[in-house]
Amino acid sequence: MPRLEAVSKRYGRGEWVVRDVHAEIPAGEVVAFTGGNGSGKSTLLRMLVGISRPTSGVVSGRPRQVGYVPDRFAPDERMSAVAYLTHMGRIRGLGTRVAATRAHQLLDRLALVGGKEARLHTLSKGNAQKVALAQALLVEPELLVLDEPWSGLDASAHGTLTEIMSEVARAGGSVVFTDHRESITRVLSSRTYTVRKGTVALRPPQAQPAHRPAAEVVLTLPEHGGTPGEPDWDAIGGVRSVARSDARLVVTVDRDSVDALLLAVLRGGWSVLTVTRDERDREAGQPVEDTAAVPGGSFR
Amino acid sequence: MIALIRYSFATVLHTQRYLAPLLLFTGLMGVLTANGSGPLPPAYASSAGALFVASTWLTTALIGIDSPVQRAIVVVGSGRAAKVLAGSIATVLISCLFLMVFGLLFPLWVGSYHVRPADLLLGVIAQLTCTLTGIAIGLPCSRLVLRRQGVALLLALALVMGFLFTHGVPPVNRLFRLMATSTDSTALLARSTGMLAVATALCLASACATHYLTSRRE
Repeated sequence: MPRLEAVSKRYGRGEWVVRDVHAEIPAGEVVAFTGGNGSGKSTLLRMLVGISRPTSGVVSGRPRQVGYVPDRFAPDERMSAVAYLTHMGRIRGLGTRVAATRAHQLLDRLALVGGKEARLHTLSKGNAQKVALAQALLVEPELLVLDEPWSGLDASAHGTLTEIMSEVARAGGSVVFTDHRESITRVLSSRTYTVRKGTVALRPPQAQPAHRPAAEVVLTLPEHGGTPGEPDWDAIGGVRSVARSDARLVVTVDRDSVDALLLAVLRGGWSVLTVTRDERDREAGQPVEDTAAVPGGSFR
Repeated sequence: MIALIRYSFATVLHTQRYLAPLLLFTGLMGVLTANGSGPLPPAYASSAGALFVASTWLTTALIGIDSPVQRAIVVVGSGRAAKVLAGSIATVLISCLFLMVFGLLFPLWVGSYHVRPADLLLGVIAQLTCTLTGIAIGLPCSRLVLRRQGVALLLALALVMGFLFTHGVPPVNRLFRLMATSTDSTALLARSTGMLAVATALCLASACATHYLTSRRE
């Protein structure tokens, strides 16, 4: 299990970037580091993957196969996306044919726009980010480390990324990501570390509001096209989880927050497919309407 | 390692960073060795000098070719930063081997020399010595160690000039002095091999220092 033990880091004689950090990344878990800009999240990840050495302390338990998606991937490469990924696959020990096949599979799954033969330096930020993600997945990672991975990705790629993170965790790998939005880290991670001014604290697990009734809201992309942005789940309140599947979002929310959620997502351009009471409520025999379907209920 | 070398070659070919050192090398070869005659050691000293400058430039260009982010990806993929550095050095070395063949044959093609096996062997030793010394200078002057390109250029120029022209400094200046004053290649083989050993040690020390400085800064 990858573990940061009393890790501190500073560059030269400058100020400490992070100090006395203890954190562990259990296998099969998705772990988030959240914090503001310049709080030291990226430095922690760089030490975790082994490209930066701690000034003091130890990073232990790093597995052999590590996938790393950096914060900013702005390649100056003139080779094509497929050629680049084939090279990266070979560096990771794959044969040429296997690496090329894997590169094609990943680029198809991530829906790279611009073509697999497009030169890297011609790709948009989001598409370059997809290539960065693909290179980390060429060989199934035992530790997948993603630094602000949603930056620049479109809504459909958000869902694919979430699926990939879940798949790696289900296969027994450890997944670590950073994001400055607590709404994202809360719904996707099984444990969250808050990074503030170089110190790290494990956020206590949220009390599960099991006694309160919940509802499940399924959102989809609007029929008229367009890509709605990620709703601000924190602002809505009462959101318990968000799962993504293809172009759909499945949101579990407190029943008394359903109206606020619907208002926010419709304003944000999402289309509401169904609103269903939670299965646990149904089993408990609570007297609520069975299903409220609002097909095509988008406006804007 | 082969995958790293292939990747380095692909990158350097796509970016065409090899072009300027290659043109410099061929230009120097044309100026220094065309229409020569007589004993071969002085001609091979000239081609080794051209390779010395070209290998320094090629090293600085190739070692810093990846952006820090891309280098981080390659380091994580390969597992060790030292392995990536070794792959880059091997790429420079292989490139210089191609130039070395040109440096050995070009004087024979454009001049009229008496060729003996010992001459060719001395030519190989001289060019290898200069290649390794060039790599030893190029490594600390690359973007891995010095981010300011102006400072790196000045330092590289100073070191190249120092090794070329400082009287009696091994391995380059001392080797050139031996080759310029002797016509018997066989008599020079032992001492030139000593210079090759010094150049190898310099290159290894420079690679270790570069790796240490790079990992300290990360």
